[in-house]
Amino acid sequence: MSGNFEVIGSRAPRKDAPNKSTGKARYIEDIKFPGELAGALLQSPQAHAKIKRIDISKAQALPGVVAVITAQDIPDVKYGVSPARYDETLFAVDRVRYVGDEIAAVAAEDLATALKAVELIEVEYEPLPVLLTVEEATAEGAPWLHDQFPDNVCAQVEQEFGDVEAAFAQCDLIQEGSFFSKRQDGAFIEPNQCVALMDSDGVLNLHSSTQVPHYVQRTLAMVTGLSMSRVRVVKPYVGGGFGPKASATPIDLAAGFLAMKTGRPVRMAYTREQVFLFSRARHGFTHHMKIGVKKDGTLMALDHQATLDGGAYSSFGIATVYYAGSLLGGPYKLPNMRYHGLRVFTNKPACGAQRGHGGVIARALFEQQMDVIAEKLGMDPIELRLKNMMETGDVTCNDLAMSSLGMRECIEAVKNGSGWDQKKGKLPPGKGIGMACGFFVSGAGYPIYRSETYHCTIMIKADEDGGGIVVYTASAEIGQGSETTMAMIAAEAVGIPYEQVRVKSGDTDFGIDLGAYSSRTTLMTGHATKEAGENLKAMILETLAQELGIDQSRLDIKNGLVKISGEPVDFSAIRTGYIKEHRGWQDQPSGEELTFREAARLAYLRLGTLVATGKYKPPVLGGKYKGAAVGTSPAYGCSAQVAEVSVDFETGQIKVERITDAHDCGQAVNLTSVEAQMQGSVSMGLGEALFEEVKFDGQGRILNPSLGEYHIPTVMDMPETKCIVVESGEPNGPFGAKEVGEGAIMPTIPAILNAVRNATGLVLDETPLTPERVYLALKKQKGA
Amino acid sequence: MLLPSFDYYHPQSLPEALSLLGEMGDQARPLAGGTDLLVNLKLKKLAPKVLLDLSGLEELQGNGTDEGLVSLGALNTASRLASGGPEVPGLLAMGAGSLGSPQVRNRATLGGNLVTARPAADICLPLLALGARVVLAGPSGQRQVSLDGYFKGPGYTVKEPGEILTHVLLDAPRPGVGGGYQKLGLRQAMEIALVNVAAHLELEDDGKTVALARVALGAVAPFPMLSPGAAQVLQGAPAGEKIFTEAAEAAAAEARPIDDHRGSAAYRQDMVRTLTLRALRQALSQAQGSKEEQA
Ligand SMILES: Cc1cc2nc3c(=O)[nH]c(=O)nc-3n(C[C@H](O)[C@H](O)[C@H](O)COP(=O)(O)OP(=O)(O)OC[C@H]3O[C@@H](n4cnc5c(N)ncnc54)[C@H](O)[C@@H]3O)c2cc1C
Repeated sequence: MSGNFEVIGSRAPRKDAPNKSTGKARYIEDIKFPGELAGALLQSPQAHAKIKRIDISKAQALPGVVAVITAQDIPDVKYGVSPARYDETLFAVDRVRYVGDEIAAVAAEDLATALKAVELIEVEYEPLPVLLTVEEATAEGAPWLHDQFPDNVCAQVEQEFGDVEAAFAQCDLIQEGSFFSKRQDGAFIEPNQCVALMDSDGVLNLHSSTQVPHYVQRTLAMVTGLSMSRVRVVKPYVGGGFGPKASATPIDLAAGFLAMKTGRPVRMAYTREQVFLFSRARHGFTHHMKIGVKKDGTLMALDHQATLDGGAYSSFGIATVYYAGSLLGGPYKLPNMRYHGLRVFTNKPACGAQRGHGGVIARALFEQQMDVIAEKLGMDPIELRLKNMMETGDVTCNDLAMSSLGMRECIEAVKNGSGWDQKKGKLPPGKGIGMACGFFVSGAGYPIYRSETYHCTIMIKADEDGGGIVVYTASAEIGQGSETTMAMIAAEAVGIPYEQVRVKSGDTDFGIDLGAYSSRTTLMTGHATKEAGENLKAMILETLAQELGIDQSRLDIKNGLVKISGEPVDFSAIRTGYIKEHRGWQDQPSGEELTFREAARLAYLRLGTLVATGKYKPPVLGGKYKGAAVGTSPAYGCSAQVAEVSVDFETGQIKVERITDAHDCGQAVNLTSVEAQMQGSVSMGLGEALFEEVKFDGQGRILNPSLGEYHIPTVMDMPETKCIVVESGEPNGPFGAKEVGEGAIMPTIPAILNAVRNATGLVLDETPLTPERVYLALKKQKGA
Repeated sequence: MLLPSFDYYHPQSLPEALSLLGEMGDQARPLAGGTDLLVNLKLKKLAPKVLLDLSGLEELQGNGTDEGLVSLGALNTASRLASGGPEVPGLLAMGAGSLGSPQVRNRATLGGNLVTARPAADICLPLLALGARVVLAGPSGQRQVSLDGYFKGPGYTVKEPGEILTHVLLDAPRPGVGGGYQKLGLRQAMEIALVNVAAHLELEDDGKTVALARVALGAVAPFPMLSPGAAQVLQGAPAGEKIFTEAAEAAAAEARPIDDHRGSAAYRQDMVRTLTLRALRQALSQAQGSKEEQA
């Protein structure tokens, strides 16, 4: 929308499409190393117990077993996600805290032997009280899971912006509500897997299915005691992550140790059940909110409490609990906000980050209450939102700066696109329509560890013959299309066709990139790529200007051709030189204009191999208060959705029939990819709204650790989805681009909740909205 | 997940298969589509020493009609059944079409579904409502068993380990007969039912009076069950809302659901009522439709 682009904004075919559609794409499972050993983990069958004794002798004696390691065999180093809360050890030292906690690892000649050896390890447990709920974990006298965290409180947040009590005193209506959600699983299609091997340079190489090669490299180096330069992490094609793959896994680390110990490549893989056991996915949230408004609908204040059932370790939890509060600062003008957040340890797998990190259920309750408020005030829900929404240039009470915000455009797009005015209040019984809005960060403003590091660096090398360029980036293509995005940005920045760009990514040898999380790659890695591309172009044009004896400002490159402004310039010497060099070739440059190929070749002949670099870290952002680092971002994407549902009153079954979805991504780099993210978000939000729940028995064992019993939507459950892309032009984004990967999920759950309320009159306060839950609520409503 | 090791046999005739099975006793397991068996092997729920692949047995393939009796081979896949055809009753096609996903339906067989005998099995319920008989071949010849009486418990039937289920027999589709199938789950596909109901109605020549009815209920007992109460209410009565409501009530009263993490017994009981009513309505409209077609 903002620019006159050659490549940006098109529907360029994805770089990985040919490989993925022909089965040639190599995932970790497809990459074999000679002499591989198979690794396996011993995981605790007990949710909470002291370890009295571990005997590995029988496992060691089993023919084919090469190594068995426990906590005794590795350095005593704690790790985790946030350095202030490192609370994990690779293997349990004296205590296990959830069913699945790691105790030992085995490497053997084949997997069957490794699994057999794991069974032969004897562990004597002394059971401890099992705390499975927040209530149990915070009860008087409950044992502490971690000595350094009294009363099982992992993190507590108290924030107040403005003066909430004073604002409530001026309100005409105060609306209160609660919401309870269930723990989710990431349900990515490719279970975690890795291979570790030492190379002849003494470098520990880890090939892993991860979203964050850099953080895995850092954790692996820290835990093994190796320097960063002695650890290399390579990410092949990855079958999805959604957040749970945004930190090092125990198999990453165990495979590393086993490879160091045996001198052979060691492969370790999670089964689907182990994916559920490792978890690190969406928390179960409990929210209470009190929202104050004036008669005319003006939002005045929010008092918000959130409790997160965190599982056994901190993982991303500190960020999650902050996000659960801070992401209500927008997209409405809300001058006063108080937040009390609490994350509690329980004897279940640790929860972490998942698409829409921390904000999804808070958003669901808030948007549901907005609808209730609209009804009580006699306003249309859209009118109430339009009245309160923020605009470009607004800053939230918690210092989030909306440098671009197409909120109005999104709301109007879904209103018109869904036929809201023709439908609202006019639908037949059993049908309902509802809408909601949301926003999300476009990249975390700060790295997970405190550092002034660049968040990403890029190297672009021109082919010596001038035929194209290669972009080297440590960023993580995990299926979202970041390689394609970087190729398009580089093509645009250098001024060459997309087909002339190759991308090599996902290798820590290529530089620094914090990885694929917090919807950061397009904006941040995109900035660095753009900078590197512009630098490369400048190098080429500088050489060319000298050669032609003209001012560099007269030169530009567009679509693979050199553009020379002003008087015609004689470049025949360059062309003749190129043609002479390529005698016998059939595709000699011709035509009126000098080509990129000739110019880049010339620059190589003068300078040697052309390498340009780019880098990015956000400027200093946001507020000074405690926790301000979580939620600040260089930009924010926003979105609105209208859901249309039908409710079967006799079974409680909900069918989402249609979603009209608008998202402001600043500027679509690749329109098809933006729409794909929007559709993926709808699918994940729909699953969380209707089906998904990880269930436990009384001993802390997962009852449904498979994709048969843990229900994610199938294609048959997907509604008709209309995607409308809004482009507000983000000043802080490369070519105006900002996020779409997570913001797009924010409105899905509340839009469905509001549509169900429209169909039934029910204010449902618990997800997933299973037929039984809805049926019981309908029955109660009838009885009342 | 790893498959345990086992020996693999690929017999080419029923007698060969039966004699292999006779030699190896319960060390051996027949293998059809493998969609239950291989999963159970990986989960270590079963550890047979030998798998006996049935795919080479001509005797288990194909369908035919003889004197108003349809015979359906045990190796019919769910996909094949779902696509219907002259021998396949509409009710069976509906049930088979709701099983799993296209990929699973391409593997899953009729015989496997009947031998696995899960409480919510999507091929068992229609066959039970259709009054089908299974034909079991064993060392001492063949025997026929009515499906009402075939199921003993979850995954447990009257079939002896040495027997192979060769085919099922049922009445050929004819005018005035209709079926209804209702499956309730969370998702639209890849779903084991929370409750499912198959209803079969046969109308008198007047096109109104119920000559015979069977209502089969899934996921509300240890195995697929018939509701004799519903059948009794319906038989001889004029088909319609009033009698269907009574039949649904009778079915709900006879269902014996339990609480589990997928749903409560009380909810399932209520759903038996709702789904039975819907299945009967569907069956009636199919029965009347088939009559009109004939007229
Ligand atoms: C992802 C998935 C989804 C599923 N969804 C559904 C669903 O929606 N509804 C449903 O009902 N089921 C479902 N199932 C279960 C399964 O697909 C069915 O039960 C199927 O009909 C089994 O047939 P099969 O040919 O694969 O059996 P197999 O796995 O080959 O065999 C199953 C059992 O029957 C025995 N057996 C097979 N054939 C014979 C025979 N002719 N004589 C004697 N013994 C025999 C085998 O020894 C074994 O014990 C699902 C399974 C999977 C993996």
